Amino acid sequence: MSDLPELLVTAFASGCTYGLVALAYLMILRPTGIINFAVGEWAMMGAFAALVLSGMLELPSVVGILGAAFALAAVGWLTEWSVVRPLVVRDAGHLAPILVLLGMLVVFHQAMLLIFGGGDEPLSGPFGFGRVGLGPVAGAPQDFFIIATTLLVFGAVWLFFERTVWGKSFEAVAINRRAAALMGINLRLVTALSFAGGAAIAGLAGVLDGPRASIEVKTALPFAIQGFSALVIGGVNRVEGALLGGIVLALAENLTQRYAPIPSGLSLGVTPLLLIIFLLVRPAGLLRAKEAS
Amino acid sequence: MRELRIPTNWTRRGFLAAAVLGIATGIAPATGFAENIKIGVITDKTGNARFYAQPVLQGIMLAAKVVNAQGGLLGKKIELVIEDDGNKPDVSASKAQKLIDSGVVAIISNSSSTSSQQAQNTTIKTLTPQVTHNGSDTLTRKLDNKCFFQIGPLGSIQIRTLMAYAKSKNYKRVALMTDNTALGQILAKYFKISLEKSGVKVVVEQVVPAGAKSVLPQMQKVRAAKPDAIFQAGILGREMVLFFRAYHQLGFKQQVLGSFNLSIPSYLRTGKDLMEGVAFIDAFDPAKPEAKTFIAHYKKEHGKTPFSLPGYGYDDLMFLVQAIKRAGSTDKVKVCAALQATKGYRGVMGAKTESYGFAAGKRTGFPPQGAVVRLIKDNKHGPVVHSGTK
Repeated sequence: MSDLPELLVTAFASGCTYGLVALAYLMILRPTGIINFAVGEWAMMGAFAALVLSGMLELPSVVGILGAAFALAAVGWLTEWSVVRPLVVRDAGHLAPILVLLGMLVVFHQAMLLIFGGGDEPLSGPFGFGRVGLGPVAGAPQDFFIIATTLLVFGAVWLFFERTVWGKSFEAVAINRRAAALMGINLRLVTALSFAGGAAIAGLAGVLDGPRASIEVKTALPFAIQGFSALVIGGVNRVEGALLGGIVLALAENLTQRYAPIPSGLSLGVTPLLLIIFLLVRPAGLLRAKEAS
Repeated sequence: MRELRIPTNWTRRGFLAAAVLGIATGIAPATGFAENIKIGVITDKTGNARFYAQPVLQGIMLAAKVVNAQGGLLGKKIELVIEDDGNKPDVSASKAQKLIDSGVVAIISNSSSTSSQQAQNTTIKTLTPQVTHNGSDTLTRKLDNKCFFQIGPLGSIQIRTLMAYAKSKNYKRVALMTDNTALGQILAKYFKISLEKSGVKVVVEQVVPAGAKSVLPQMQKVRAAKPDAIFQAGILGREMVLFFRAYHQLGFKQQVLGSFNLSIPSYLRTGKDLMEGVAFIDAFDPAKPEAKTFIAHYKKEHGKTPFSLPGYGYDDLMFLVQAIKRAGSTDKVKVCAALQATKGYRGVMGAKTESYGFAAGKRTGFPPQGAVVRLIKDNKHGPVVHSGTK
């Protein structure tokens, strides 16, 4: 079992990227009730934004990472302002924004294909490749960086929702939009911030994952599927659920690939299988919503 | 009213000669060629084979430019008529018909083997010569098309060459990696058959699914099996990088042997510093005199050194040109006969001492000993370390 510690590190790193995409879904879903499948495109776009900043303009990696997150926050804000807000203002119903965002998914995808083409591009991380030992565990430097950054992001988001007035206003909007508006909460600003925050987090997932291999436009769909599955597994109502769902999913994938006596190609089925099982058996996910105080 | 009068100091014959000359020079194109020889190209500009097809098309266009600069073909300029089939077989067939209707004397197929196969269903009806560099072993067998010629290295030749290299290194137990694409699966299947025929045991087989986030689980299994070498039959770029990262992370030292896909330079860019010493199949030896000439032309045109793919396109067109020259005509029947009679034609592609030619009744012209194995060195396609199947 000496392979297990190193395998766990890589699984946790993968789980963290799934968790970040799940968090991106959740940031938008909670206050608005909108499932935005375009988060997969945002994750991919974040990676390409970092490519432009760090790869083409040769800015330092940290500038590339932060710049990509800010760029995607702007994309999220613009998306909400241009296509979601008009529908909400017109009271177009719950389905309309979801369908429009599916359309935006196609727009983003095709735009990226036009700009960057369908091939893959290298995205260098701050640490290069190789292996780093930390006590009993070892892994790729980028994997440890992903885990550390993800824990920071989740910590910050948890604190935001649990300890700040703005976070509470998100919660209030999620519970009852009309009541929240009557209490003086600016619904438009909350919605805009949720899209901007969700896009930034999705973009960050793409930037962190990019140096593990190479980046290409078609990684958007796997991001969307794995992030959504992580959200369902962890529970759609809890920030920590997004991370837990991502880690459970990644552990299942990696442990199946490594130890299950099945052909390695069949490990592709782990994600959809887990999704189906949770939807049938425990649709609320592993972590149920907290009771309202 | 004034009358039009022929100048009285001109003879009538002289006036008529001047009139005819004036009309003829007015009609003739400014280039000085009487008319063009149209050669059709069916290529993929928009489909999933475009990454392979676009560099090949560059080679075809370069060849046309070189021929025209050297006086053309049978005193005429080559005009390429290019159609995009998006790598869709049914579209390839209709593009072939469109090209035939436009008056092409021959067609070069530059998308996938299935598209080339489908185009044959059209070209066979008018005996239009069709040439391709596709490497599928069945292209000349499914249809008895006496005017279809395949000059690319067959998959079987490529694999036998790689196996010969593996045998020379005395590998006994190997790992086999691939991805879950159709081509990756086919390559893996033929790798395995060939390895076992060569007496080499495949001790572990692993698949990297498209979209995987890590290949560590698969590579840990490979490490546990302790192979002498790792054969890599996959084709996906991102997943290839994942494989090499895991290879280095786990401290592997075994050689990696890859298919012709590793002759595409994009892997060197995305897998920079990860692929040193990797062996791969190619059909291009830069040290071959004809390859050196081609490299010089290409550098002059594009300002950079070519890899193998443009060489395939260059040979496709030059191969047709040499046949048309020997036929002395663009008559399709004569061109077909001249193509079939080709022997000892030294093209850009193929090992240093090898040349194209067709055995009697055969329409696959790449020499059986023509494939080579090269190593990746300093993030570049390095020297040939083995050639042929022996």
